[in-house]
Amino acid sequence: MVALSAAEVRFIQGGIAHDLRSDGRGRYHFRPFSIQSGVIPQANGSGRCKLGATDVIASVKAELGRPPAGRPNHGSLVISVECSPTAAPEFEGRGGEDLSLELQRALERSLLGGPNGAGAAIDLSSLHLLEGKVCWVLYIDTLVLSSDGNLLDALSIAIKAALSNTGIPKVEVLASTSADEDPELDVDNEESSPLDISQVPITITLTKVGRHYIVDATAEEESQMTAAVSVAVNRKGIVSGLTKRGGIGLDPSILADMISVARHVSQTLIPTVDAEIAASESRAAGS
Amino acid sequence: MSRAASTYAVPSYNATPDLSVKGVPPSLLSPEGSRLDGRLPHECRPAYMKTGAVNAAAGSAYAEFGQTKVIVSVYGPRESKKAQAFSDIGRLNCDVKFASFSTSVRGKASQGMEEKEYTGMLHKALECAVALHTFPKTTVDVFALILQSGGGDLAVVISCASMALADAGIVMYDLVPAVSLSCTGSEVLLDASMEEERWGDGGMIVAAMTSRNEITQLTMTGEWPSTKVSEALQLCLDACLKLAELMRSCLKEQVVAGGQ
Amino acid sequence: MEVEAFKRLYPLPFYERYLDSSVRPDGRPLGRARPTSVSLGAVSTADGSALVKIGNTTMLAGVKLEVMVPSQETPDQGSITVDFQMPPICSPLVRPGRPVEAASVISEQLSNVLTSSELVNLSELCIAPGKAAWMAYLDVYCLDADGSLLDTALLASVAALAHLQLPAVSVSEEGRVYPVSSSTSGDVSMEGAETSIKVKGNSISPRRRLKLGAAPFALTCMVHKKHLLADPCAEEETLLQCSITITMNQMGRLVSFYKPGGAVPATTAIVKECISLARRRAREVQQILKEALEDHIESPSLMQTD
Repeated sequence: MVALSAAEVRFIQGGIAHDLRSDGRGRYHFRPFSIQSGVIPQANGSGRCKLGATDVIASVKAELGRPPAGRPNHGSLVISVECSPTAAPEFEGRGGEDLSLELQRALERSLLGGPNGAGAAIDLSSLHLLEGKVCWVLYIDTLVLSSDGNLLDALSIAIKAALSNTGIPKVEVLASTSADEDPELDVDNEESSPLDISQVPITITLTKVGRHYIVDATAEEESQMTAAVSVAVNRKGIVSGLTKRGGIGLDPSILADMISVARHVSQTLIPTVDAEIAASESRAAGS
Repeated sequence: MSRAASTYAVPSYNATPDLSVKGVPPSLLSPEGSRLDGRLPHECRPAYMKTGAVNAAAGSAYAEFGQTKVIVSVYGPRESKKAQAFSDIGRLNCDVKFASFSTSVRGKASQGMEEKEYTGMLHKALECAVALHTFPKTTVDVFALILQSGGGDLAVVISCASMALADAGIVMYDLVPAVSLSCTGSEVLLDASMEEERWGDGGMIVAAMTSRNEITQLTMTGEWPSTKVSEALQLCLDACLKLAELMRSCLKEQVVAGGQ
Repeated sequence: MEVEAFKRLYPLPFYERYLDSSVRPDGRPLGRARPTSVSLGAVSTADGSALVKIGNTTMLAGVKLEVMVPSQETPDQGSITVDFQMPPICSPLVRPGRPVEAASVISEQLSNVLTSSELVNLSELCIAPGKAAWMAYLDVYCLDADGSLLDTALLASVAALAHLQLPAVSVSEEGRVYPVSSSTSGDVSMEGAETSIKVKGNSISPRRRLKLGAAPFALTCMVHKKHLLADPCAEEETLLQCSITITMNQMGRLVSFYKPGGAVPATTAIVKECISLARRRAREVQQILKEALEDHIESPSLMQTD
């Protein structure tokens, strides 16, 4: 828990009201962030995002599995979030479990698309190998190493970096199999192809403090929030998921305004994230 | 999980076909624009609500929205668990469970996760509606059991829980009706059924305190062009308003019936 | 002193005064059970279900069927698994995450009574000997606990089994089981199975109800001093001295007898009286169940659409 004195609380709230936050940012400015690609060599792809003092890692592991029920031409994504007890004392035991589940569900809502797979971060049909039999299942595992607010947005950036870093091994389906049996596959780990990450959304969390809302709140600012809304937006500005997180009720018009602010912020943030990812990829390739 | 005969689930053989059996997504709207169960896109399912379903509880409610059947009981305000830290405002403790026969497949593996998620969402939807300062140091327990899952389960649980809280005499700022919605192609389908939830492009759940014009819980999933977001939100709010009227008249009826 | 205050301060003398004039606070004579209702088909996701109320005590029983491979010892028998649940909604004494002792006791008793009464002939659950049989999961949920839990749970179980219909299925040579829907007989594929199935050469077993044996019915009685009360509510169960639960089948034969200790021993005369009360009650409940079944069969279309 963040313990603040009354004077600190007033300082934070007053700063937000005057569009000058305690670390010098405006209401809609993100903290500087850095991205590191390929941090876990044994994964198919990985990325680490440091956003201020918040530090998260995402890894992608591609495995062969069965297509989801009723969608024989799709692959699937599985997301898990773990909050390391070293990141914050309140992550120990049940507290960490509840937060992990909340973050995981919010990420699933924004990345997995609708029940039929529409609007998913990765075109699920590109993960399909053999109709109704075999497909790629991408296990996206994330770990929160250090927490200073705005975990969800940092996680979404790390996941995007990890997916961009991911190579899917080439697979050949050997034809000589009967319809009933499981087909024989030849997986070539040497050759791999990248994923199309153009649709992967970034989550923007707007935290309401007093009458104003801010992006990328620090833990201190989050302790003063009355409500928060996380909106996942992709490069085209299409909303692919939304979660309201706790706190007081919101007027529908304010909510609509928050969504449009999130979309607006995303249009400057996403190119920055993409550029950072590209830079980090080239660094990783160069070294 | 092995695919032996023992894991095969019997499909339901009643009026609503179990679509997981066919493996082909059905078209959710007929060319004439009516839905699988014959409703119009913006039409809600027939709803029935009743308070006082559980005699042992301080307050309770039963709700039936189409195929979805839910029972909620409220206990308290009563002593908080000993292990919990002191709190000068009251606590709201929620728990949502599925009955083992509520779904087409018995005891699905994902059910435990779903129960946990619903528990969290129910808590968030209700916490800002309940006047927690009126019962300091104590806990109000809200327990829900989904008897039959037929789509929009969480929305029905939230609406039903706020009725049960009212029945228990817990002070609230407003009732919290909740409505879910599914979108398919260019249409939005209000108060989605199980099939529509399973095969839609995206979904939305809205819980709102209508007389204060405040949204207490909102989640969206799937792909939503910005024009559709506001349209769907408005539709849900209108439906919440109607549901709130139904809930109020139901509560009034119970009071009148109880007084006689 | 006001009546309410007297009741709260001296609950036992309050009760005893009533008992001495051979009536109970809710107006019942000592030997009479509370109003009982049975409604069938309350849950359409279950293969058989029943909602039973005895007074305020409410139970919902549902049966789900799955296909299993019968065991080697009994190749022509299916099986029934009984479970009794007390979710936290049913009583202020139950908290989530903590299993209730009473629930597991009743679960065991239910299972014993259903087995020893031979209500269901397990070979009726056979689909293809040695290859496939039905596994019936009978789950009873207590929605409102106000005494006589076993009596209500047993009635709900019997009613749910009476309402249960085994779906029409076809069995392939290898013992794989496929559902046969009434409109399209045959080509139905399931999750994870092959997309097309040859129906030729398969044996088809039609949709049917179970033929039930003599149904068991339970009656709980409370013994207090010289009084004997049938069908106690929760308050009576906690206040009075000791309880006796008797299960009779509809032929009037004794299925089980349960006296869990208690403050006083039961004399032979009391046991005899209990048995005669239970016999009368079994006839009464059987009539209620019969009427519910007849109503249900007369208007099956109603149950299909809801």
